[in-house]
Amino acid sequence: MEGLKLDFISFEAIENATSMEKIYMIIERVKDGSVVVMEGGLSPAERTELIETTMREIDIEKFVGIDVHTLEKDAKALFGLKRKKQVVITIVGPANVMQTVKKQSNLLSVVAKLDNS
Amino acid sequence: MGFFDFIRNFFKKNKKIGLGLYGSPNSGKTTLANKIAQDWMGKEIGSASNVPHETRKVLKEEKVIIKKNGKELDFDIIDTPGISTKIDYHNFLEYGLEEEKAKTRAKEATKGIIEAIKWLDDVTGVLLVIDSTTDPLTQTNITIVGNLEARKIPFLIVANKIDMEGSNTERIESVFPQHKIVPISALNGENTDELYEAMFKEFA
Repeated sequence: MEGLKLDFISFEAIENATSMEKIYMIIERVKDGSVVVMEGGLSPAERTELIETTMREIDIEKFVGIDVHTLEKDAKALFGLKRKKQVVITIVGPANVMQTVKKQSNLLSVVAKLDNS
Repeated sequence: MGFFDFIRNFFKKNKKIGLGLYGSPNSGKTTLANKIAQDWMGKEIGSASNVPHETRKVLKEEKVIIKKNGKELDFDIIDTPGISTKIDYHNFLEYGLEEEKAKTRAKEATKGIIEAIKWLDDVTGVLLVIDSTTDPLTQTNITIVGNLEARKIPFLIVANKIDMEGSNTERIESVFPQHKIVPISALNGENTDELYEAMFKEFA
């Protein structure tokens, strides 16, 4: 049975990377069939850059794009008020591999499809 | 608001509004663009279809003028292709398209998404169209909202397809509680008056 490769990328590995370095770090792995689990999130500009790069890299027979999922926590702002969510984990995988994704507030469940399953 | 934001907003307010219609494929952007153009110009601007990625190039209609209570809102409509993170031509086969046509559609759709993203640099107001029968918590919606917030582009969330079974606008409100949401049916025109009113408040 063909295995599923998971690549875990720590925050330290990307904190000094440029946006494009981050995008390619993700997209090259995902194009090879890996599911990338990254500590932290991407900025809004990086997320659009990721979609744009994905569209450029799509090969209609071999690579049909990505699925992106995130787990967030409440980020406390001034005076302890809940203001916005902060992404703690980003999961990016090939769209044809990420079969079912169920998300609850603090649980993300992914079923991946293997080549011959 | 910082000094540079003030200067940028000052000049933006003095420019004609470039109103981008953004959202996922099949959320009803072109149906809404047609509804607005039909209501105020008496014509349609694009073809809508239930096959995803029907709009694969940005459609632009200049000088649309909405009139309300003696005031006018003058803008260009920029109807953008639906943004998605994946394009699989096999999905189009399910709608009866031939394989070659489905592949061509897929290739054109990837270019359309890039074009839609590029237009974020030029729009000065946005209607984010969400199909209220689907889960609004998608990467497309989150990415668009994140970008609009970061770029300080004023926008409204249009909860479309309220005429359809399974429509749930509360779900959209719970995902984007800090933003103005206008429930409508672009197809039959339900609540579009409220949308035009909200557009005056947000973009005028």
